Amino acid sequence: MSETRFKALKDLPAQHLLLPGTPMCPGCGGLEVVKQVYDVLGENTVFVNAAGCLTLLATYPFTPFRGSWIYTAMASAPAGAQGIRDALDILIAKGRLPPAQNLDVVVLSGDGAAYGMGLGPTSAAIDRGLDFYYLCYDNEGYGNTGQQTSAATPAGARTATDHGPVGFAGEKKDLFSIWVAHHPPYVATITSADPVDLARKVETARGHAGPKLFIALAQCPTGWHYDPKDTVQMGRLAVATGIWPLKAYAGGRVTHTRRPKPKGERPPVEEYLRAQGRFDHLFSPTRNEEALARIQARVDAYWDAAE
Amino acid sequence: MFRVRFHGRGGQGVKTASRVLGTALFHAGFEVQDAPRYGAERRGAPIFAYVRADRQPIFERGVIVRPDLVVVVDDTLLTLPAAAVLQGIAPHTLLLVHSAQPAEALRAKLKAPGQLVTIAPREVAATGLQPQGAMMTVGAAARLLGVVPRQALESAAGEELAALPAKLRQRSLALTLDGFDGVEAPGGPVRELPAEPAEDYDRPRWIALPFEDARIASPTIYGAGTSMLSKTGLWRVQRPVIDRERCRRCVWVCGTYCPDNAIAADAGGYPVIDYDHCKGCMICLVNCPSHAIAAVVESQAREAAAAGDAP
Amino acid sequence: MTRTLLTGNAAAAWGARLAEADYVPAFPITPQTEIIELLAEWMQRGAMAGRIVMLESEHSMLTAAGAAAATGVRVFTATSSQGLLYAMEMLYTVAGWRVPLVLVNVSRGLAAPITLEPDHNDVLAVRDSGFLQFHCATCQEALDGVLLAYRLAEDARVRLPVMVNMDGFYLSFTREPVRLPEPEQVRRFLPPFDPETLYFRAGAPRSQGVAVLGGAQYSYFRYEAHLASLGALRVFEEAAAEFARLFGRSYAPLETFHTADAEFAFVMLGAFATKAKQAVLRLREAGWRIGLVRPRLLRPFPAQALVEALGGLRGIAVIDQNLSTGMGGVLCSEIGAALLRAGARPVVAGYVGGLGGRDIPVEEFFEMARETKAAAEAGRCPPTRLLYTEEELRQTRALQAIAMAE
Repeated sequence: MSETRFKALKDLPAQHLLLPGTPMCPGCGGLEVVKQVYDVLGENTVFVNAAGCLTLLATYPFTPFRGSWIYTAMASAPAGAQGIRDALDILIAKGRLPPAQNLDVVVLSGDGAAYGMGLGPTSAAIDRGLDFYYLCYDNEGYGNTGQQTSAATPAGARTATDHGPVGFAGEKKDLFSIWVAHHPPYVATITSADPVDLARKVETARGHAGPKLFIALAQCPTGWHYDPKDTVQMGRLAVATGIWPLKAYAGGRVTHTRRPKPKGERPPVEEYLRAQGRFDHLFSPTRNEEALARIQARVDAYWDAAE
Repeated sequence: MFRVRFHGRGGQGVKTASRVLGTALFHAGFEVQDAPRYGAERRGAPIFAYVRADRQPIFERGVIVRPDLVVVVDDTLLTLPAAAVLQGIAPHTLLLVHSAQPAEALRAKLKAPGQLVTIAPREVAATGLQPQGAMMTVGAAARLLGVVPRQALESAAGEELAALPAKLRQRSLALTLDGFDGVEAPGGPVRELPAEPAEDYDRPRWIALPFEDARIASPTIYGAGTSMLSKTGLWRVQRPVIDRERCRRCVWVCGTYCPDNAIAADAGGYPVIDYDHCKGCMICLVNCPSHAIAAVVESQAREAAAAGDAP
Repeated sequence: MTRTLLTGNAAAAWGARLAEADYVPAFPITPQTEIIELLAEWMQRGAMAGRIVMLESEHSMLTAAGAAAATGVRVFTATSSQGLLYAMEMLYTVAGWRVPLVLVNVSRGLAAPITLEPDHNDVLAVRDSGFLQFHCATCQEALDGVLLAYRLAEDARVRLPVMVNMDGFYLSFTREPVRLPEPEQVRRFLPPFDPETLYFRAGAPRSQGVAVLGGAQYSYFRYEAHLASLGALRVFEEAAAEFARLFGRSYAPLETFHTADAEFAFVMLGAFATKAKQAVLRLREAGWRIGLVRPRLLRPFPAQALVEALGGLRGIAVIDQNLSTGMGGVLCSEIGAALLRAGARPVVAGYVGGLGGRDIPVEEFFEMARETKAAAEAGRCPPTRLLYTEEELRQTRALQAIAMAE
């Protein structure tokens, strides 16, 4: 990464823009990531929200934002961003809005919308070259309704709709690659457990016009069944074990911004899995060696290809 | 008709407890209605559930506004106006509180007009949410109704807890029965309120809603940061307390990781926790490099604060 | 003011152009597509200073439309049939945002079975969304209706989106003489959009479309939209009076045709009502005292005007170009309810006709008049009748035979 004002935690904005008093669960990883991203984007933003946990960030008459927000619907937040971006451009072009009062438009979407119902509208917004940010807080299930399986649910996770002995039998969709296939100017994965990497990526994205998309791991104590105090540890484990690669796509290339240790030296993925109740059934009453090996193999294969 | 309202926090098993009671009453031959009430609030936030039981079909629906029995699973809710535990209580209402405090003292403190019964927590303290309290309390509630046979409660709890791991299920079942066996109501069992008379009632004060233009009659907030008025600190069951002696003033650590933006530096560079909003997740405690943050049980912290020796 | 031949689609597009709409989020669907094609052409060659953007669905199109209106620009959009229903969620949503915008719906029957031909089930399916509804019977009304719709939508006492409805094919693709108003005169009628409190901009934090918790708040916001809609009747009358002064064309919420001395009346929405006019004239030649009542505004519902026009009649024939499955015609039950609540009791004969573009020939109007008169004499409302002939069933049977549906 090139020039950055963010080299260590100390360099991050000391004043946080997202105000407290939200109805999010204690220890919400999604809230933590929005707060960190907002600090770098600044308050001259309008968030366009898709249905998800964070729908309730603003609940009449309470809003935690210093800037603006609109709630749209589950599928079409990118189209809402289109309408606002176009309207702001029209107002500026027609001299009805001073350019200094321009805003950045930011879609806020859970994985349910981003990976599923909202994928078409997101694809279309990228096609149109819409100048916007897209932040998916990925808690790997329909969290707001009680953690049912979504297209972002990882292999083996138990959800409210996958109770079986193997949990969710499918695989997590590779949304990053789907987005990259559209060749937008910037795509990145982030985690609030690595705020410096996150801030640098948001800072880098600011230098690009057009669609700038982020998938954030949104650790969810309520849906993943771990103690809220461990939210940051969950994120660190996800990165250290290699199951949540931190990477960025720009200029036609994917770069890994953090690399876990090489195979054999990095912690096995089961350290991450064992820490969460949603994977309990893989360990007790008996260890599901086959499932654990398969999950590990997939992580290893990913990094083999990346290394 | 019996009208029972349960109060607790999200994650404390209030819904399960209300269902155990509903099923037990059903087994005892009653017509039953039970439901949890969800809001936007999450784990730790005050929530409630309710159960109705009658010997004839129940036509009433929705929130219970005039309860005969109010079951309080978490006594820290008693002093939270937002929890509305005491809403609609009348002299006939029995308050059942899961609390180590003596019943008479509590009753005086709350100025409760009717009977108040406590059931002492089995294991003190601890941190975090304790779903076990709900089970003891529901056992006691079943007893206080005076119409639920022990056997009906036992089979109801068995059904409702069937999905739990065996060990936890057995423990919860035992606690439920302990609650049933261990409670006494000196003033007698729960009394049912007679039905509202159709001739003599509080007339609704209806108005013709005045037209207001869209500037105010749209769901729009014309300002920033009004969430500050929402005191999410009330959800907290434990409180992070910073030891200034050990704090190295690296507020960029706790301040960055706090999801709720409830930590900011004071003039001297020390992190200060905004207890009006801190939900008590303890992320700051876990990530503090100098281990300068401790967890204090919220109710104790409040009492200490009330006694003047704030931490 | 030039008079020229225009299709209904072109007339609606001219409405948007003369209204100087800033923004047109669009998506193609038959029979509406010509509207957005024309607007795109005008904008691309600089004849219209707006921006058109192709969205990927009507659901997204309405989201973009509402969001742009919430940011403070004048928005126009158009759709039809399946598209309107695909956007259903957002129709309620943007109306709930209380943003003004104008949507032209070109009516077309709904699938299944799929068809391209018109009826009003699409527009009536969204009648409770909060959009006001203006129903056109001529191409001129399609143009004028768009201008009136902006006045209505943007009035501070209303601030709700407005739908202008025209029938597919019978108006959308049909050319009629249309008077094109002069742009300066239109500006006098419709000044530039003043978004008042509707904007997103730096330094003015604003949260729109916020969730509520609890029935009291929800009821307040929904009912205020209802009150604004009801109040729009008066605002419409004011706007229509000014329109008549400037352009010489009068638009009451209710069109009445030969009702002053009438004993009977047809009641219809949309373009087929002009067929009823033809029938009225012929029946009058034969000595009937009969007229036509056609609501232009369906939301707000002009209940009082309807009761005044119909309450004293002996019988009315309500011809619904829609079908509420399991109930009958929508207009018939709404009018019946209005009459009942006013204590007026003409005999109401309900007809369902013109579904999926099925024609209503003049003889059928004569027959409906005859049946309605007989019902009035018997003092009994007849059951709803589908306008359908032996010959039509025979033709359908022939097709069923080929489909081996025997």
